[in-house]
Amino acid sequence: MRFTLLGLLLGFLGIVSALSATGSSLLVIIEEEADKSKYSQFWADLQGRGYEITYRSPKDTNLSLFLHGEPAYSHLLLLPPKSKGLGPNLTPNLLVDFINGGSNILLALSAEQAVPTAINSLLLELDINLPSDRTSLVVDHLAYDLTSSAEKHDVLLIPSAEPKKGVVDFFSVDGLVAFPRAVGQVLGNASPMLSSIVKAGASAYIYNPKEETEGVEDPFATGSQINIVSAFQARNSARFTVLGSSEALQDTWFDAKVRLPGTDYKAGKTSNKEFAQRLSEWAFKEIGVLRVEQVQHSLDEDTKDINPKIYRVKNDVRYSIEISEWDVDQWIPFNPPTGDAVQLEFSMLSPFHRLSLNSSPSTTNKDATAFSTTFRTPDQHGIFNFYVEYRRPFFTAIEDKQTVTVRHFAHDEFPRSYEISAAWPWISGIWVTIGGWLAFVAIWLYSKPTRDNKPASAKK
Amino acid sequence: MRISQFFTAALLPFSALAAKKPTGDRFQDSNAAQLANGRPLQLDDKSYDALTKGPRDYSVAVLLTALDARFSCTLCKAFQPEWEMLGKQWSKGDKKAESRLVFGTLDFLDGKQTFQSMALQTAPVLLLFRPTTGPNAYNDPIPARFDFSSGTDKAEPIHTWLSRQLPNVPHPPFVRPLNYLKIGVTITIVLGVITFIAAAWPVFMPIIQNRNLWAALSLIAVLLFTSGHMFNHIRKVPYVAGDGKGGISYFAGGFQNQFGLETQIVAGMYGILAFATISLALKVPRIADPRAQQIAVFVWGGVILGMYSFLLSVFRIKNGGYPFWLPPF
Amino acid sequence: MASATKPQSTASGVFFEGETARNTRGLLRIIILCTIAATAVASRLFSVIRFESIIHEFDPWFNFRATKYLVQNGFYDFWDWFDDRTWHPLGRVTGGTLYPGLMVTSGAIWHALRAISLPVDIRNICVLLAPGFSGLTAFASYLLTSELSDSPSAGLLAAIFMGIAPGYISRSVAGSYDNEAIAIFLLVFTFYLWIKAVKEGSVMWGAFAALFYGYMVSAWGGYVFITNLLPLHAFVLICMGRFSPRLYVSYTTWYALGTLASMQIPFVGFLPIRSSEHMSALGVFGLLQLVGFTDYIRQQLPSKQFQLLLRTLVLVIFVVAFGLLVLLTVSGTIAPWTGRFYSLWDTGYAKIHIPIIASVSEHQPTAWPAFFFDLNMLIWLFPAGVYMCFRSLKDEQVFVVIYAVLASYFAGVMVRLMLTLTPVVCIAAAMALSQILDTFLVAGEPAEPIEAPSTKTNDAKDKTVPGIPEVLRSTKGPLVGIYSYMSKAMITGAVTCYLLLFVMHCTWVTSNAYSSPSVVLASRLPDGSQHIIDDYREAYYWLRQNTKPDAKVMSWWDYGYQIGGMADRPTLVDNNTWNNTHIATVGKAMSSREEVSYPIMRQHEVDYVLVVFGGLLGYSGDDINKFLWMIRIAEGIWPDEVKERDFFTSRGEYRVDDEAPPAMKNSLMYKMSYYNFDKLFPAGQAQDRVRGSRLPAQGPELSTVEEAFTSENWIVRIYKVKDLDNLGRSHQDAGAFEKGNKKKKAGKRKGARVLRVD
Repeated sequence: MRFTLLGLLLGFLGIVSALSATGSSLLVIIEEEADKSKYSQFWADLQGRGYEITYRSPKDTNLSLFLHGEPAYSHLLLLPPKSKGLGPNLTPNLLVDFINGGSNILLALSAEQAVPTAINSLLLELDINLPSDRTSLVVDHLAYDLTSSAEKHDVLLIPSAEPKKGVVDFFSVDGLVAFPRAVGQVLGNASPMLSSIVKAGASAYIYNPKEETEGVEDPFATGSQINIVSAFQARNSARFTVLGSSEALQDTWFDAKVRLPGTDYKAGKTSNKEFAQRLSEWAFKEIGVLRVEQVQHSLDEDTKDINPKIYRVKNDVRYSIEISEWDVDQWIPFNPPTGDAVQLEFSMLSPFHRLSLNSSPSTTNKDATAFSTTFRTPDQHGIFNFYVEYRRPFFTAIEDKQTVTVRHFAHDEFPRSYEISAAWPWISGIWVTIGGWLAFVAIWLYSKPTRDNKPASAKK
Repeated sequence: MRISQFFTAALLPFSALAAKKPTGDRFQDSNAAQLANGRPLQLDDKSYDALTKGPRDYSVAVLLTALDARFSCTLCKAFQPEWEMLGKQWSKGDKKAESRLVFGTLDFLDGKQTFQSMALQTAPVLLLFRPTTGPNAYNDPIPARFDFSSGTDKAEPIHTWLSRQLPNVPHPPFVRPLNYLKIGVTITIVLGVITFIAAAWPVFMPIIQNRNLWAALSLIAVLLFTSGHMFNHIRKVPYVAGDGKGGISYFAGGFQNQFGLETQIVAGMYGILAFATISLALKVPRIADPRAQQIAVFVWGGVILGMYSFLLSVFRIKNGGYPFWLPPF
Repeated sequence: MASATKPQSTASGVFFEGETARNTRGLLRIIILCTIAATAVASRLFSVIRFESIIHEFDPWFNFRATKYLVQNGFYDFWDWFDDRTWHPLGRVTGGTLYPGLMVTSGAIWHALRAISLPVDIRNICVLLAPGFSGLTAFASYLLTSELSDSPSAGLLAAIFMGIAPGYISRSVAGSYDNEAIAIFLLVFTFYLWIKAVKEGSVMWGAFAALFYGYMVSAWGGYVFITNLLPLHAFVLICMGRFSPRLYVSYTTWYALGTLASMQIPFVGFLPIRSSEHMSALGVFGLLQLVGFTDYIRQQLPSKQFQLLLRTLVLVIFVVAFGLLVLLTVSGTIAPWTGRFYSLWDTGYAKIHIPIIASVSEHQPTAWPAFFFDLNMLIWLFPAGVYMCFRSLKDEQVFVVIYAVLASYFAGVMVRLMLTLTPVVCIAAAMALSQILDTFLVAGEPAEPIEAPSTKTNDAKDKTVPGIPEVLRSTKGPLVGIYSYMSKAMITGAVTCYLLLFVMHCTWVTSNAYSSPSVVLASRLPDGSQHIIDDYREAYYWLRQNTKPDAKVMSWWDYGYQIGGMADRPTLVDNNTWNNTHIATVGKAMSSREEVSYPIMRQHEVDYVLVVFGGLLGYSGDDINKFLWMIRIAEGIWPDEVKERDFFTSRGEYRVDDEAPPAMKNSLMYKMSYYNFDKLFPAGQAQDRVRGSRLPAQGPELSTVEEAFTSENWIVRIYKVKDLDNLGRSHQDAGAFEKGNKKKKAGKRKGARVLRVD
């Protein structure tokens, strides 16, 4: 959350016309000048969206991701290098620091070139597994392109997946997207930060053309376990996108005609251009960036004093948080995808309440949505947190914690004794006793025997 | 069913045979035997292996002990009755045997191989074999081992330990049976004393009201406590310890520890000093004869001086840096 | 001084005759008392002179903080104070769980001084409160002793003894701003008022006693001692057949008003009628009603049988009431003994059931040197004084005897209760010594013995005690006096020497043992010059200046109050050990592996962890030496996860070197204590000066916390708890990656492949 805002500031300081929420400086690692032309349409698109692009070769000695210890670029696009390694300036540790610095990385792989070990170990840290032999690619004998790879079957044609319930859909394009010679990735189960963007078809599998064996035993992965494009968002919401096939970004595929086998309809144009745009938009934080505008909590009865530091047990409390979303070029009110909700935890050690907030357009801020609820503080004093944690695939994370103290009843906040009917006998008892005692003393003093002092004086 | 169980048990006092019985599973028989002779099973090597070999759908708690006098294992002896009580109550406690727990005792004499196979040096050792099959099977085959190092010889901690080790089965409560004999004895004694006092009241009255008696009692109490008797009582310090070279050292070194004898010496010194003071204050001025009084004053004054200086010197032993002293010591 | 106060001193001069004599003596008394008070205050100022005006060890820091809160926010806020900076995240209902007497007293003094336009810093008031009250204590003990003994010098002796006895100084030097500081004065003064009430049998004195008893309750938990001592006194008097309207009036007044007063303290609340500690007072109250009733009846109708019937009736009622009490206690309506109190009787109790109580150093039993150290020659004058109380066993002297026996028992069981013993020791010793002085400082020489005075003295003595006819054996003979001047001179000289020695002893003990604020440690350099070790404050001020104001600090509970007071940062646990589970949680975090501790620390939002380590300096009071208590307390709650056994070697030793068991080496506490310690020494030479053992050549590795600060002498070490890894890895993996050793290729996975579903 905080990082996003920081990045936002930097970005606006940089160039006002930047579309990304985190700044517009983009570094492209491409080994040979010659290859640049292959991607001309993609560059044009990016420049048109206001990025200033720096092209560097991994061999370039004065290439550095950092300037004064801070990331020098907001985004990094890694195209597959011809050579085996990425060089000393792009070691995994540096790339991890780059991510920790809050910058985004779009990594494009290709089965043409062997994946550098540096990339491999970096991906392992993110719990993304690549085939052990570096040159294997994804083939699918049912969903390949007849025109280009009639016999190799290594150009996958994949339609956009059905949007899932409760998950935002940023990437669906109509028509087929071609992924030539893709490197399939397998996502581990451990990390909740991973999510897949494009999966291979059910009949795809990973196969290494180098080995001459007929048929494949125990392929590295098969079917929808293979991810062609996958996304990773770090805790600081820095985005790391892995695109299995770099060729998919090339001009040749932007306006290629493709045809699925066994289907009757004629060759159609690929949707790679749209897809590339969507993907880069997401990868470079033009969409799906959330921001907390304002958090307010107060007593239900008097909403005058906002965000007091202390409440009492069994208070009725109102809480509201305003969230807006960055959509390409402006902030718009954020609405969670259908079937999803923003939730509030009122927690001390463990949540005492977990409530779904109900959304309504914000009264103060026209491009934010207010999520609010009211509840009663538990009968337990302590230091509590209003805790909103909203981590969803493809959205930057929201984590907002407001610490308040919940105190016990003060000595004068209990009902007075005479308001409790059960106490009346006792109270009356007290007064009767007092009265009786006074009466007794009075009678005693009154009936004091008058003694004549003569005998006493006589005794002296 | 219960009859048959009873018969099996009666016929076969040892579960070893019961375990060998073709019919019925091992748990039923051993449990029956246990119920019948009302205490944990007496195991030997064979029956031990038979009872504890897996797969097991029940759990076994075996106490490996050495009761024979030769081993002079006091803890074993102290713990044995508790153990039997616990086993009895547990098996009686869940009649339907839902906890499926068998108690067994393996004495060293009957189970030498077992002891050797486990390379046990110490006794007692309490092992709990948890079921390997069945609803609440437990994955690791190694039996849980109760730690006697805290020196407990009571059944309650064992019971809590077992209950903790065997979750989600019923745990029959353990109630220590009242020792009626003891209670009766105490009551009779108390009554007897009361009656005796009541009878001998005229004799007692003066004794109870004797001021010297009370003075003596309270003085003794004060002297005991102020000379650190409670410390001995709580810390269980040795009465006296030998120094390196054969002799005995009366005073423990260091400020924070002491010997039993030491405290008694100190109490004695306090007593003498106090007595001397009392004599000086009360007795001496009541001596009619001037010469005798003079001598008494000298004597008691000297006693106080000597004792006090000795006390100081002793304290200097305890506390090295202490600067003050009195002649002669 | 004794000579000045002798009634029949025949020294020449008009000042010592008749009316003027009384005035002169009164004047002298006042002067002497003032000097005594001055002495008492002066002898407690060592620490201020030597170090500075600073609050001492642990609890005082909390009292100081509370007092500041009181003077800043006023009394009602203090009453309702919910403290959200301790026991995070539970917080503490502080206003309702402390004895406000101390804070309110110093707050009142502060306001009073401002009222007369003397703005004094509250800290100075807090530092100097204890010495100030010690002067009052001396005065109170003068009053009490004068009530107890007829010798005029006894009171003054008791006053000076009380003023300089180390047993009392130990808890009342300047800066030890603790409840005892005022409580002892209140204790003695309440006793004085009680004795006065019993003697006079007046409602007024009884009411005063109740008033000060209430004050005492508001000041110190030790009030229970009074609550049980006074009823015991009354009970014993009844048993001695000394029931009198005086006793009845004074006790009933005290009990009724005192109980009401004590129930006004929120912390005490309904304890006086619910808990067993207070039941004796209630029972004796009832018994007194019964006895009074029978007494009244007996006076009315002298029929023998009826009286017998009455006696039995009373007995029956008494027994029934007692049975009822037991029943209620068993059924739980009346709370049973609280742990701390129970551990006084069953001395083995705490060790087994409440390790947290047994772990406190001042709850240990007392060895005899401690007695002598704290009371020097009073300790042997004490029995003599007690004996003299038996001479003419008046009601008040019975009180002294009971007090003496009980207090010496308690002092024997718990070191800190030496405090309650000291007053009675001073009083008794003063009575004994004054007796000697009065005997041997008579200027006049007695005539040759004649029988007349003896009889007089005898029957005089018989008159004093109606209940018990015969007298002590030592006082059978007639009192004649001392003949020769020589013996007089000798004894007087000896006693003077002893008194001087006593004064020297007290001064020495005070300056050497009781005047160091354990916040600042003083050590001697080889050349004998003093060297101040100030690591604690260094570390606490580091926290105060370099961390967020709401950064939670986790440490063992001993340091909670100091962190709250000096560093002003929230703590998880502190010296007010009200929540054993929370303390056990900290103990578990300290004694478990990092993987186990980290989630606990995250859950409790811990930002910094503070450990105390003496290995470099040889400072033995460090956390590794307290570690076993942490383990025990944690084991009490999680017997399956933390086991004390695992922290000992197979031979049952507690070691930190190579032989240390894995549980020890992997525990967070061990790692934090010895982290980077080996870097100070040549390889393999790392030496722990407390345990006196050589440490493993390979120092421990830390992954979930990082060193933030280490004080000059390494006594205090502070670690920062890392945030979660940005890429969602475990800290161990992240650390490995930083060091550059890569993960295994996932291709070599064993077993069935785990499919991802999303």
